[in-house]
Amino acid sequence: MNIFLKELKSHRKSLIFWCIGVFLMVASGMMKYETYKSSGQSLEDMIKELPKSLRAVLGFNDLDVTKASGYFGMLVIYLLLMATIHAAMLGAAIIAKEERDKTSEFLFVKPVSRHTIITAKLLAAFVNIVIFNLVTFASSVMLLNQYSDGEDVTGNIAVNMAAMFILQVLFMVIGTALAAWKRRPKNAASQAAGILLLTYVLSIAIDLNEKMENLKYLTPFKYFEAKNIMDGGGLDGVFVLISMVLIAVLTAVTYLCYRKRDLSA
Amino acid sequence: MNVIEIKNLTKNYGKSRGITDISFNVEEGEIFGFIGPNGAGKSTTIRTLLSLIYPTSGSAAIFGKDCIQYAPEIKKEIGYLPSEVFYYDNMKVKDLLNYSASFYKKDCSKRIKELAEIMDLDLNKKIDDLSLGNKKKVGIVQGLLHSPKLIILDEPTSGLDPLMQQKFFELLEEENKKGATILFSSHILSEVQRLCNRVAIIKEGKIVTVEKISTLKENNYKKFKVETKEPLDANYFNLDGINNLTVDGPITSFLFRGNINAVMQKIAAIDIANLWIEEPDLEEIFMHYYEKEA
Repeated sequence: MNIFLKELKSHRKSLIFWCIGVFLMVASGMMKYETYKSSGQSLEDMIKELPKSLRAVLGFNDLDVTKASGYFGMLVIYLLLMATIHAAMLGAAIIAKEERDKTSEFLFVKPVSRHTIITAKLLAAFVNIVIFNLVTFASSVMLLNQYSDGEDVTGNIAVNMAAMFILQVLFMVIGTALAAWKRRPKNAASQAAGILLLTYVLSIAIDLNEKMENLKYLTPFKYFEAKNIMDGGGLDGVFVLISMVLIAVLTAVTYLCYRKRDLSA
Repeated sequence: MNVIEIKNLTKNYGKSRGITDISFNVEEGEIFGFIGPNGAGKSTTIRTLLSLIYPTSGSAAIFGKDCIQYAPEIKKEIGYLPSEVFYYDNMKVKDLLNYSASFYKKDCSKRIKELAEIMDLDLNKKIDDLSLGNKKKVGIVQGLLHSPKLIILDEPTSGLDPLMQQKFFELLEEENKKGATILFSSHILSEVQRLCNRVAIIKEGKIVTVEKISTLKENNYKKFKVETKEPLDANYFNLDGINNLTVDGPITSFLFRGNINAVMQKIAAIDIANLWIEEPDLEEIFMHYYEKEA
């Protein structure tokens, strides 16, 4: 319990900054929506005429961007990126920092097992992620309602946040597993960020090239795309299952690798 | 009863050497010195005892229990001071010590105050702002605040000024009188000689000898350096127990082992300008042990 609280406290400041960041992200995004909305149908037509590849690169999908919820669906990938970067870095850092800051000789000579320490750290990281998700949810609902002209946006936001939550947990355990497995835990955060970037680029590549469609299982960013899950689409059970299995395996890797680990001085 | 039993402990880091086949015991209530040059494997041994790293082969038991399998349990009674202290920087000394105490199921607040007073440590400062020596003091308080039965110290005096070293040694002797066993690792012979009953000497990952300090002292060389106005005849110090005699102009130096009075009488009989008598440094003691083995 003491480790859990200590971790919450030591990540509090960074979490607050991330939350302010995500709020500003939604706010600035929705401010631009004003322009989209006022331009009306002409913009919608123009976007439809763009080549598919350009649309993919610019982040436009098949959603109607002149509707508040459709516009949010376009925005959501940036929120996903932010949330997953936060989760991956947090996961890697929370495990790696004892060795990075050389505090391992303090914590690991205390009468607690490594298992207990990892559990406390995972729980603390999990709480951070939940808070990040809820803040994003609340900011989105609040800000979208300013522009929605009575359209009910809460359901569409909720399903995106559910998807975001799964990806957050997934990238968090990618970070923790890397930090527990790698000999040099210092690099775990950058490696986790690297994996994140790679899978994101892959997801864009798949958008550009239909032949790569089957690679979508390799990149979490293709699991729950806004255009598929919104307006009643819901989360695809197959991808929920894949995510759950990955999360379970990576959590197990975190525990097992850390139990056998020689802590560096 | 043995508090620490190390049996054939070996640890390799990939291809590089860690420690090889180390065995020794530390008895209850003793202050046991663990001495060797930097990189000899002192910290590796200690880190294995604390299950920060895992042995390649062999085993160690603390309080009669395997130090890996029962790690959380035996650590309740271990206090550890690492050679370099690193703490969570954004904490106050007080918060860190309370955090440390929260791992032990007893009230340590009184002991923290006592120890801080003895070591002259300001509890309200941020750890960030502390000097190396003051961080070391935090380490000392942190290692002792739960009144452990076994205190493991890894080169504890670096960064402490002589006055604080003195207080620290007094503190350790007090803890020892109360029943604590102490494993004291160091590369400084004098502090080990001052405190310890027995020592294990380690070099290049292997135990060279485990010996009582008193025995070690008897067998010890002393380094003599005599400065005279006129160069001495090389045969002047023609005594048993004199080794490595060199005459370099006015300076004559040699190693001596045996009854010190004989040498002193020889020196008293000549007109000297200056005289140095030094304890040999560790390397020289090692040389002594290697010579004996050869």
